[in-house]
Amino acid sequence: MAEVATREFVAASQAAVRDEQLRQALRRAGSGFDGTRREAIAEVTEDVWEDWRQQARSIKEHTIAHLDYYLAMLERNVQAAGGQVHFARDAAQANAIVSEIARQQGVRTVTKSKSMVSEELGLNHVLEEQGVDVFETDLGEYIIQLAEETPSHLVAPALHKTRGQVAQLFAEQLGVPYSEDIEEMARIARVALRQKFLEADMGISGANFLVAETGSLVIITNEGNGRLCTSAPRIHVGLAGMEKVIPSLQDLAVFLRLLPRSATGQRITSYMSMVTGPRRADDEDGPEEFHLVIVDNGRSRLLRDPALRESLYCIRCGACLNVCPIYQRVGGHAYGWVYPGPIGSIVTPGLVGVAQAKDLPNASTLCGACRDACPVQINIPRMLLHLRHQQAESDDTNQRTVSDTDKALAQGFATVMSSPWLLRLGRLVGRALSAPLARSGKIRQTRLPLVSRWTRARDLPVPAERSFRDRWRDELSKGGN
Amino acid sequence: MSTGNIGIPTAEFLASVREALGRTDEPPADPYAPLQDDLAALTEQAATVRERVARELPDLSRQLGETAALRGWNVARCGGVEEALDYVVSLATQLGATSVARSEQEVFESVPVDAALAGVGAMCWPAVYDGPEGREAVRRRLAESGMGITGADYAIAETGSVVVLPRQGLSRLVSVVPPVHVAIVRPQDILGTLDDLFALRRLEFHRDGAQGNGDMGSYLNFITGPSRTADIEQTIVVGVHGPREVHMVLLDEE
Ligand code: SF4
Repeated sequence: MAEVATREFVAASQAAVRDEQLRQALRRAGSGFDGTRREAIAEVTEDVWEDWRQQARSIKEHTIAHLDYYLAMLERNVQAAGGQVHFARDAAQANAIVSEIARQQGVRTVTKSKSMVSEELGLNHVLEEQGVDVFETDLGEYIIQLAEETPSHLVAPALHKTRGQVAQLFAEQLGVPYSEDIEEMARIARVALRQKFLEADMGISGANFLVAETGSLVIITNEGNGRLCTSAPRIHVGLAGMEKVIPSLQDLAVFLRLLPRSATGQRITSYMSMVTGPRRADDEDGPEEFHLVIVDNGRSRLLRDPALRESLYCIRCGACLNVCPIYQRVGGHAYGWVYPGPIGSIVTPGLVGVAQAKDLPNASTLCGACRDACPVQINIPRMLLHLRHQQAESDDTNQRTVSDTDKALAQGFATVMSSPWLLRLGRLVGRALSAPLARSGKIRQTRLPLVSRWTRARDLPVPAERSFRDRWRDELSKGGN
Repeated sequence: MSTGNIGIPTAEFLASVREALGRTDEPPADPYAPLQDDLAALTEQAATVRERVARELPDLSRQLGETAALRGWNVARCGGVEEALDYVVSLATQLGATSVARSEQEVFESVPVDAALAGVGAMCWPAVYDGPEGREAVRRRLAESGMGITGADYAIAETGSVVVLPRQGLSRLVSVVPPVHVAIVRPQDILGTLDDLFALRRLEFHRDGAQGNGDMGSYLNFITGPSRTADIEQTIVVGVHGPREVHMVLLDEE
């Protein structure tokens, strides 16, 4: 069991590096997002940007240090606004909560806007197993749901797919004429999903921020699917990791400035929606019930270790992925779980356990680009080294073979950090990727529920009784297209 | 029917968080400044915002128009109501919209779009649910409307955004379901920054409620440009699930 994720990263990154289409997609996305991010920073000036980062950092430091206090405040104010808060210690509990709400309310159809936590929980499968139809509505999520894959980037889930691949997917799975016209593909998705929005009993969203003072859930989106998911169905369920809370409404401003710029270089996204409880009695519309599910699922493990605590400041902007030389080579799927890239290499071992993600802390050149890009100044390289140290120590006590790579990387901290990173880049990338190959091993289907979707997406497609795409083919053949 | 609380008890969850933090149950030692909720202080803060905005209005209005245009709005600066009505009418004509949904907001008393649109054969109707038709009929009608018109509760110069607070008379769906959204912005709707907006909302929140337990309203929505996606090869496409086209009618005066 312990080696599963290790082997997976190795095998997957090996395959990824050979995948020319993936390489192209990564190059385009990485330079695109990072280029616009830099322009956005230049526009406000470096000084202002640093000032914002510092503010955001202080807010997160304060909130996480008093997380219990702010979660209690949040719960009070969500309740005062007429909403309900449910706390879940782990994925199983969180899934049980949502599935129970769905059962009690007789929910048959769910529309979802993007939620990384839901990916983390594997929620869709749980709902589908109880007979609920679940529709991802963010275009990228829709594509990967149709392809029965998993997201490969924090903000651009289908980043690994070329337009030709999407066209092929739509043609095969939806029975529409093959077209590489991106506008046409977006139109197909719009037509397919429009009716779902109005039919759905339940809308599920993630949360970019939770405002303790007002009991509000904040989502920022570009497509408008988030607005529809939170407005049209009669029940809205928001899913959030417990670290998403910020104290005051006033604190939101700086995050609204930082997040879109860091993510895609946009100065602001098309939409920001703040949900505070269910519809009020005289509102024209909005859900009759609002539920907020707050999830620990391993986060208290990161909280407990002062050296890793700052990983909970992450606002999931994806900037560290876009600048990471390793992510840029191997893509998101190689990381084997929901959160890829530099931050994933810290969060994944924290959330699923170090033993299951052993190679991830080594999947870095420690070049420091992630730390420089991070809008909340998270010192990712420092935490990666901390994890390597921990591993090296526990390996020693377990009398297990410690690879020379692990030892060298752990001990060579000072040298590596003080050297010009570019000089070391080539060698370190090669080392991080090739050294573990010696351990070899092909990915077998794992019994580990947390990673099974990832392995399945690549080499063990398991046909569902009646798959999501079958249902879509039916929907589209009903016309309306 | 309401679902009771499920999941683990709050006290248990919070205790485990506390335990991970290695602390006991206590509030932050120093009061956290941004949570200041003294009504006198908030009122003063809001008054300061309003004064500054009034002073800088011509600049803010110009900045709003420029920023909004950069973020994807079609900005129509109108010297008066007549000009605004002409703009809306010619837009509806161009689009061939025969059904135009609108919110029920104060702004339509001074900008009578219904009559103007009727003049060119477009039916402009208020999307409110308490009519005899009921919710489903209103939704169907919204889905068939070529255009949706709303006012703005606020417009933010810093970001080029229109902010609406859905409530009675203002459906959440008027600005997102029809393929074209028109927002009418009056000078008094304009604010400078995100901080201005949140200062004003905090005052409303803490003033409205008993014991500082105010009501935010169920929804607050920022709209900045058209609906868009870049999920396929980072190529931007507009009008995914929301409007492909958005127009900001910026009234210089009413
Ligand atoms: S670690 Fe920082 S840069 Fe990476 S996703 Fe989180 S906030 Fe963004």
